[in-house]
Amino acid sequence: MPLSAEPEGSVYDLGYRTYDGVRLGRRHAVLSVYVTSLRGVFGLGRHTSSKILPIGLAILALIPALVHLGVIAASETIDFEVISPDDYYEFVQWPLALFVAAVAPELVGRDQRSHTLPLYFSRPLLRNDYILAKMAALSTALLAMALVPQAAIFVGNAMARSDALDYFRENWRDIGPIVASGAMLSVFWSAVALAIGSQTDRWPLASGGIIAYFALTWILASLLVNSSDDGVFRYSLLVSGFHVVRAFTLWTFGVTLNPPTVDQDDSLYNDLYKADLSPHIYALAAMATIAVAMVIVHLRYRRMAL
Amino acid sequence: MAFLATHALTKRYSGVTALDSLDLELSPGIIGLVGANGAGKSTLIKVLLGLLKPTSGSAQLLDFDVTRHQVDLRRYVGYMPEHDCLPTDVSATEFVAHMAGVSGLPRSAARERTAETLRHVGLFEERYREMGGYSMGMKQRVKLAQALVHDPRVLLLDEPTNGLDPEARDDMLDLVRRIGREFGIAILMASHLLAEIERVCNYLVVIDAGRLVRSGPVASFTERTQVLVVEVEGDSSALAQRLREDGLRLRQEDGRILVGLEGERTYDLIRDAIADLGLALLCLEQGRQSLEDLFRTPKADADDASLG
Repeated sequence: MPLSAEPEGSVYDLGYRTYDGVRLGRRHAVLSVYVTSLRGVFGLGRHTSSKILPIGLAILALIPALVHLGVIAASETIDFEVISPDDYYEFVQWPLALFVAAVAPELVGRDQRSHTLPLYFSRPLLRNDYILAKMAALSTALLAMALVPQAAIFVGNAMARSDALDYFRENWRDIGPIVASGAMLSVFWSAVALAIGSQTDRWPLASGGIIAYFALTWILASLLVNSSDDGVFRYSLLVSGFHVVRAFTLWTFGVTLNPPTVDQDDSLYNDLYKADLSPHIYALAAMATIAVAMVIVHLRYRRMAL
Repeated sequence: MAFLATHALTKRYSGVTALDSLDLELSPGIIGLVGANGAGKSTLIKVLLGLLKPTSGSAQLLDFDVTRHQVDLRRYVGYMPEHDCLPTDVSATEFVAHMAGVSGLPRSAARERTAETLRHVGLFEERYREMGGYSMGMKQRVKLAQALVHDPRVLLLDEPTNGLDPEARDDMLDLVRRIGREFGIAILMASHLLAEIERVCNYLVVIDAGRLVRSGPVASFTERTQVLVVEVEGDSSALAQRLREDGLRLRQEDGRILVGLEGERTYDLIRDAIADLGLALLCLEQGRQSLEDLFRTPKADADDASLG
């Protein structure tokens, strides 16, 4: 038997191989952070415990649409709508607000807590690129949460009719306002949530801050508007996340504010009617809030010591 | 152009000058950056990465200006920070692949190189587990892997053996040396431990208070001195007495005799003296300057060098 020159039992080692393939730049870096962050929002690729809260709240946001579909499926008459598209957010504003409060702090707090940011910022990724990717990921998640149930309602309504195309012909004009108001809500609330959430790496504090923003601005604005007929207090509605989204949604559907009926307990609607501000002002307020929030996030990351 | 060059590079924090008009010009190699804690090692690395903006002066790495061409430069740089930087709730595979993507590698290439790189740093089955349960040694390996995964041209390592036990420390130093010698990647490694630098690096930069103290090949720091160290079993005082009578300059220290070397004749005299006195020779070697000498005060150096 010929003796092998190779020493017996040697470890098979391929050795180091250099990488000669393409090196993509900033755009790819942003895309990588975006995709990973979007997955992370729903806890995908992470431990089961990270999935419970976001998935649970996503299901909660689906319930009004499911109830709606159940009612129209069970009812004989199909001439009424349980939820009309222009007041959809009345039903899901809290699940959506709790969702951003739950996921935004983890989205930006994790990298701060585990000191991973120096690894990101020593790669082809600028700090503003990182913010952009996180903002886009949160907005996408929220947009999906806002639009998927409404799409289900729209399709359900059409199926309930004898002629689905007929329903589509009558209601296709709602699609624009549904998408526009959903996009505004997503970007607006994401920006605010990131501005608050990026300030600390402790998520209970950050989540509490975001919930406090929605609750306090809502309650205070409502109290101020109803406390007096003074014109100045009307503008307090412009800082309230719930009021601004509601007003913007009504505006996109072209709804004019009529005097509320006596038994109408839609408090946001009543506040908006009482304040009687031009709808454009709410759109401007949303854009101004987004701009201020992004500046706050930018300053937070620029000043961060790495 | 040089691989790494700085010109009057200065970085001031509020009141503290971390880098004080530092001038460097280095060729690629395994470069050790030595200095006490707070000497400015980490600051220099962070300025080179663009994590910190210099107060004044300029720096080039791989022919890129570090402030003007940050993004281009960072595609070819790997960075291993001093402190913990790993999320606890993802696996090493997932994390390193993500970091490869952020470095610009397409998805499939990122996956492939992640598997290879983790194998090179010695992480096997455990790479699919969440990193929260990793030992310090495993964490350091992942930190090195994420710096290496995109095949950088230069690695900036900040205290790579930080927090490791002696065995893990040896493994890490072997790994760094292998990356520098076999993988052909230039390395700038900061450490406050001279012994580590001596083992791994072939070039040395010593900084103190943000200023350059000395730089050169490691060998030039450890040149042989003109002193013979003699150690015997038995009465060393008698030997010292005899050698003095033979006309040699010497000094006794901790039972050892340090003899001034004056040509081949010195060896002969020591051999004869030991043979005549019937002593057992334990050690006879030419003394080396140690890197530690760099940090001794000049006064102490002068005392050490004087032979009675």
